[in-house]
Amino acid sequence: MTFIQTSPVSHAQHHAHPVMGSLHGMEIALEFGTPASQQAQAAVAGVAEFSAFTRFAVKGAGAAEWLGAQGMELPAAANSWLMQDSTLVLRLGNSEYLLEDQFVAGHASRLAQGSAPVGAKLYPVARSDAALVLSGQHALSILAEICALDVAAELANNQRLLMTQVANISVTLLSQTLNGKTLYRLWCDGTYGPYLWHELTAMAQEFGGGPVGLSFYFK
Amino acid sequence: MKLLTCPVNGTRPLSEFVFGGEMRNMPDPAQASDSAWAAYVYNRTGAPGLKKEWWFHSPSGTWFVAERNTLTDQVARTYLYGQEDKA
Repeated sequence: MTFIQTSPVSHAQHHAHPVMGSLHGMEIALEFGTPASQQAQAAVAGVAEFSAFTRFAVKGAGAAEWLGAQGMELPAAANSWLMQDSTLVLRLGNSEYLLEDQFVAGHASRLAQGSAPVGAKLYPVARSDAALVLSGQHALSILAEICALDVAAELANNQRLLMTQVANISVTLLSQTLNGKTLYRLWCDGTYGPYLWHELTAMAQEFGGGPVGLSFYFK
Repeated sequence: MKLLTCPVNGTRPLSEFVFGGEMRNMPDPAQASDSAWAAYVYNRTGAPGLKKEWWFHSPSGTWFVAERNTLTDQVARTYLYGQEDKA
């Protein structure tokens, strides 16, 4: 029997009646309107959810060596990221790593399905994040209102990531180019997902934007 | 806005941090006298001055040490535990 997991943000999206679909075992919002309305919202201020992507995380002084032995390239500097094939590799601080596959299965799925990491100073980390995306011409204006940092300046180096607070909750934040557009990726504890979704979509709507489904970004 | 510098993540608003108390060296429980152990558990020094304190950067889960003058509230330096020489 196959169980479909509910997205951590789903009950905050329910009232918008999204078209739902299953991805990597999670039911997630694919569309919030017509393709034309989705495109218009994403261009102005769009908020989407990417929580269904498979993640794998380890930390500890032995994490880098173990991941290297598994064939992973790792960011050289703390608080930076790189893309290996279709997998985001985030280095969180000095010795914690988060791998996240994008739309298709990649290294995170491969490692998650393999044997559990075992070794000295090596600790698996369970991740049940809500993963959100902010896009559009007003994305930085929204972040300026709810984040104490100058996100544009802090992320001027595109491979840098921030661990800070947005709307008073802890997030990991980076900017990424997808389909030729700059967007901002946010990960927070899944239990805060509905709150952050509500805050971001409410602000996006003030700018004429709103929620955008996953299928807008991945056809 | 009050600011504090995390040795890993940089300067951030104080609202991102949690105070972890004064950093104190624990006596060996097997060797310490009852009075020394009781002093460690129950007594704190309230005299103002330069103190080592534990601080926690909440978004990244980073514990570090800050040397702060509790009279002037000026932070002299911050560093990861065990990396005092690098600060």
